[in-house]
Amino acid sequence: MNTFIQVMVNGLGKGAVYALLALGFVIIFKASGVLNFAHGSFVLLGGYVAVRTQDDLGFTVSAILGVATAGLGALFIERVLVARRPLADPIALALLTIGVDVILTEEIIRRLGVELPFLGRPYDGKPIQVGDITFFRTQLIALAVGAVLVTLFFLAFRLTGWGVAMRAQAENREAAALMGIRRGRVTAAAWVIGGVLAGVAVLFLATQDFSGSGLSRGTHAIALVAFPAAIIGGLDSTEGAIVGGAIVGLTEALSAQYISFEFSKVAVYVVMLTVLIVRPSGLFGTRERTRV
Amino acid sequence: MRQSLKVPALVIAGALVLAACGGGDDEADSGGADASGVKTGPGISDDSITLGVMTDLTGPFKDFSTTLQAGHKMWVDEVNAKGGVCARQIQLESRDHGYKAETATIQFPDLEPNVAGFMELLGSPMIAALKTDINDKQVTTMAVSWSSELLDQPYVIIVGTTYDLEIINGLDYLLEKGDLKKGDTIGHIYIDGEYGANGLAGSKYFAEKNGLKVSEAKVTSTDTDMKSLVTKFKSDKVTAIALTTSPAQTASAATNNVGLGLNVPMIGNSPVFAPALLDTPAAPALSKLYVVASAVPFDSSVPKAKEVATKFIAENPDVKPSFTVQYGYAQGLIWGQILQKACDAKDLSRAGINAALKSSNNITTDKLVSDLDFSKPGSPSSRTVYIGQVDKDSPGGLKQVQALKEFPDAKTYKAPHES
Repeated sequence: MNTFIQVMVNGLGKGAVYALLALGFVIIFKASGVLNFAHGSFVLLGGYVAVRTQDDLGFTVSAILGVATAGLGALFIERVLVARRPLADPIALALLTIGVDVILTEEIIRRLGVELPFLGRPYDGKPIQVGDITFFRTQLIALAVGAVLVTLFFLAFRLTGWGVAMRAQAENREAAALMGIRRGRVTAAAWVIGGVLAGVAVLFLATQDFSGSGLSRGTHAIALVAFPAAIIGGLDSTEGAIVGGAIVGLTEALSAQYISFEFSKVAVYVVMLTVLIVRPSGLFGTRERTRV
Repeated sequence: MRQSLKVPALVIAGALVLAACGGGDDEADSGGADASGVKTGPGISDDSITLGVMTDLTGPFKDFSTTLQAGHKMWVDEVNAKGGVCARQIQLESRDHGYKAETATIQFPDLEPNVAGFMELLGSPMIAALKTDINDKQVTTMAVSWSSELLDQPYVIIVGTTYDLEIINGLDYLLEKGDLKKGDTIGHIYIDGEYGANGLAGSKYFAEKNGLKVSEAKVTSTDTDMKSLVTKFKSDKVTAIALTTSPAQTASAATNNVGLGLNVPMIGNSPVFAPALLDTPAAPALSKLYVVASAVPFDSSVPKAKEVATKFIAENPDVKPSFTVQYGYAQGLIWGQILQKACDAKDLSRAGINAALKSSNNITTDKLVSDLDFSKPGSPSSRTVYIGQVDKDSPGGLKQVQALKEFPDAKTYKAPHES
C-alpha cells in the first residue's frame, strides 16, 4: 500500500508541473488559435536567465527575472511574428513557432555549453519523510504554486474583463471583434501568461528532484510532454489541461512501477491515442458539431 | 603525320605521369621506411607520430573526457620533452563525437588516414559502430570502454578490468563487508547497449554464484530521472544497488536512494561518477556510492598517482580533478611502451604496432592501472580493481577504500570470448 501511495505522490508531483505547461499551451491556443510549438523554448529561456543570475542575485530574484523574461519573450514572439499576420493560416503560424523553437533552443544550448546548471536551491534535494512515504519538496512546492496560479487564472478567467473577452474571443472571434473586443490585447495577454507559466515550470523542471538533470536539452524534451497533456485534456479546455497534466504524471509513474520503466515512456502516448479515439476533441475539449 | 602522333604521345606522357603519381600514393599508403630502416605507416612521419582521439566533450561523459584529455596532454608533454618515441614527437589529433555514434561514423574516415592508432575512442556505442572500420583499416584503437564483449576485436585495446569484472569485484567487496548476503536482491540500473549489458552480466554472474537475485532496470542514455526505478527497488526490497549508468543517472539514483528512504550501499562501474556531481544537489546522497575501477582514484597514496595529481593541479588549477587524469596519463604510458616495442622491432606500420601490442604481456604503469597482459586474445588484460568511496573532501571526489585487489568471484569468471 505504501508503495502505491508513493507512486501516486510521485505521479501527482510531476503532474502538477505538466499541468502548468499544458495550461500555458492551452491558453495560447484558446486566445490566438495557434499551436505554440515554441513552448519548450520559453521554458529554456526562463531557465537560462534564472541560472545565469542566481549566483549574483539569489534564487528568488533570479526566479522572478526568469519568469518575467519567459513572459516577455512570449509577448515578443506574439507581437513580432503572430499579431502581424492576422489572416495567416493557423498551420503556417504553428510552423513558424517550430522555427522559433529551434533557433531559441539551439542558441540557449550553445550558450550553456557543457554546463548543466540546476535550479531550485532552496527546495531541491530536501525531501520530507512522513512515515514510509517521501514527499519531495520540489514537487510539494510545485503543487502549491501550481494550485495558486491555476486558481488565480480561473478567477481572472471568470471574473475579469480580460477573462470575459478571452472567452468571447475563443467562442467566436468575428462576433467578439464586432462587439468591440480588442483582439490584440487579449491574445498578447494570453501569450504573456503562457510564457510566465513556462517560466514558473522550469523552476521545478531543472531540479534533481524532478528530472535528475540541470537545465539542458532534456529540459526542453520534458516540456514537450505538455503536448500530450493538453491533447488528453482537450486543446481548448483550461480545466482539461490540469486534468491532462495529472493524467500524464500518474500514467508515467504507475506504468513504470507496475508494467515497466521502458513502457512508461510510451504509456502516455497510448493513453493519448485512446482518448483521441474515444473523444477526438479530448476529455474536456469542445466537440465540433457540423449541421448537414 | 607529325600532327597525328602528337596527341597519342601526349596521352602516353600524361598516363606515365599519372602512373608515377599513383605509384607514389600507393607506397605512402602501404608504408615505407625511414633512414634508420624503421618501417612506417599512416600517421608516422620522420619526426612525428600522430595518434587519434575520438572523445565526448559535449555529451553525457564530458566531465570524464575533459580530465582524460588533460592526462593525455601531460604524458605527451613529458614524453616529447624527453625526445619523444622512436626519435619522433607524439602528436594528438582530436574529434568530439558528443557520445553520438552517427557523429563518430562521419568523423572516423576523416581522421583515420592521418593516425598511426587511436589513443582514445570513447563509448561503447561508438566502438560498436566503428568495429568493422577499425578491423578493415587495421588501426590499433585504445577503447575507453571496458566491455569484455570487445575482447574478440584484434585491433581494440581495453586497458584494465572490464565492466563485468568491475561489478563482480564491487559486489564481492559488499559481500565481504557484510552489506550483502545470500537470498538478498540487488537492484541494477544499466544503460541500454554494450556498456550496460556487460555490467549486468557481472551482477548476474555474482548473483548466481552467491545465491542472490537481480532486479534489472534498463534505461537509455537520455533518461535522467531514476525516481520510479528506485521506488520499484524499494518495493523489491533490494539491499544494494549496482549502477552501469552515466554520471547524471548516478546522481538521480543516489538522491532517490536516500530521498525515498531506501538507503542501501551502491556500487558503480568506473564511468558512473564525475567529480562535478559533488556540486549538484545530489552531493550528500553520493557518499553511499563505491566506484569500482582498474584506475587509481585521483587522491590515492600510490606514489605515481600522487606525482601526476600534483602536476595536474599545478597545470590546471581551475579544472576539477578526477581519476581519469591518471587514467589518461596511463593510456599514454601504455601507448609509449607499445610504440617503443614496435620501434625496437623496426616496424611502426599499423601491422607492426598491432604485433607489438599482441606480444605485450606485462605492461606496467607504476600502478596507475593494474599490470596488463594483452597477449591472450579474448581475456581481459587485468582482473584487479581499486575501489573508491565518494567523498566530497577528497580531491577527485573519491577516497580509496580498497587497494588493487582481485576478489574471489572475479578469479573464476569467464569473459564472453575467453577460451
